[in-house]
Amino acid sequence: METFLRTWLEWPSVAAFVARYTWAWPLGETFHFFGIILLIGGVGLFDLRLLGVAKGLPVATARRLLPWGVTGFILCVVTGFMFVAGVRANVPASPYDVIKSNPWLQLKFLFIAFAGLNLLTFYLTGMDRAVDELGAGDDAPRLAKVIAAASLFFWLGVIYFGRLIPEAL
Amino acid sequence: MWEFLDSIENSAFSSYVRDTPSVLGYSTVLALHTFGMAFLVGLSGVIALRVLGVVPQLPLKPLKGLQPLIAAGFWLNAVTGLILTSLAIHALLRNWDFYVKLAAIALAIVALQKMRRYAFGETSAPDDAAASPRARFWAAAMLLFWGLAVLGGRLTAYATNIRIETARAVLVAVVLLLIVARYLVRRANRAVVEVRV
Repeated sequence: METFLRTWLEWPSVAAFVARYTWAWPLGETFHFFGIILLIGGVGLFDLRLLGVAKGLPVATARRLLPWGVTGFILCVVTGFMFVAGVRANVPASPYDVIKSNPWLQLKFLFIAFAGLNLLTFYLTGMDRAVDELGAGDDAPRLAKVIAAASLFFWLGVIYFGRLIPEAL
Repeated sequence: MWEFLDSIENSAFSSYVRDTPSVLGYSTVLALHTFGMAFLVGLSGVIALRVLGVVPQLPLKPLKGLQPLIAAGFWLNAVTGLILTSLAIHALLRNWDFYVKLAAIALAIVALQKMRRYAFGETSAPDDAAASPRARFWAAAMLLFWGLAVLGGRLTAYATNIRIETARAVLVAVVLLLIVARYLVRRANRAVVEVRV
């Protein structure tokens, strides 16, 4: 299993690309940040509306921003994959060892998983349909508020732990 | 002047934040700086997308309610930015990229204020009306300056040749992504209109 993961996670082509083209890493960092901005602008705004911020927004219209948040998440995943698969270009360690030994990266993955489970709860409990009916000025159900607060907490946690990763490299 | 800056850079507070092995020092300040950026740029960006007509279904006036959070993001960034600057004042003040970042932030804030004034000032306009050309101009300018500020912030630690190469690469990537985004947004908005009809 370990051999499989070591081989699969190590993309020599990504590390070689990052080492050869000096703009690749800062380009990835810049787009990782653009991704964070889109994520908070899209998903964060939707969560904030459920929590009662900008209450004049009908929830169904705030939902129109979710694809922007998803785009931001995809940008972060793609660039984040580049950072992990190409890590050897910057530090003398394999991606497998970094994932296995870096507690902040592990916490970041864990919080991404929590955010995913939280989203699943939003759909499985029927809250997605319940909040769609909310017009301007309407209050979200308590469960929807709890899920929205958890979503913000998990995504901010993902950003926080991401910033701590270099501490343990 | 340099003596004064030295005293800030070597103060007990700056030394603690820079040198402490605790994650509550430098990395946490950096993370708070990122939180501030995400709220400031992310939420003001949503207003800009509405003003530019990218998400025309959003009613404009309720977006005014985001202003306290946008302001909170700005002040969080201002405070953490000052702390981060105090850790390496000498190096930053000799770094031209740092000035590009500061200028881009200042211009983005001016553009944000102008966009707000023109977009929210038209009190008699219906909520689903298209924003005025002036509001759209400042919204586009704000997004451009925020992009430049983020890029400038990321490139502070790199050498000049890498900064220039990266800026070129980012420009090409942004243009390509905007072309794709324009196509997808038009398709999505057309689908909404067809559903309404």
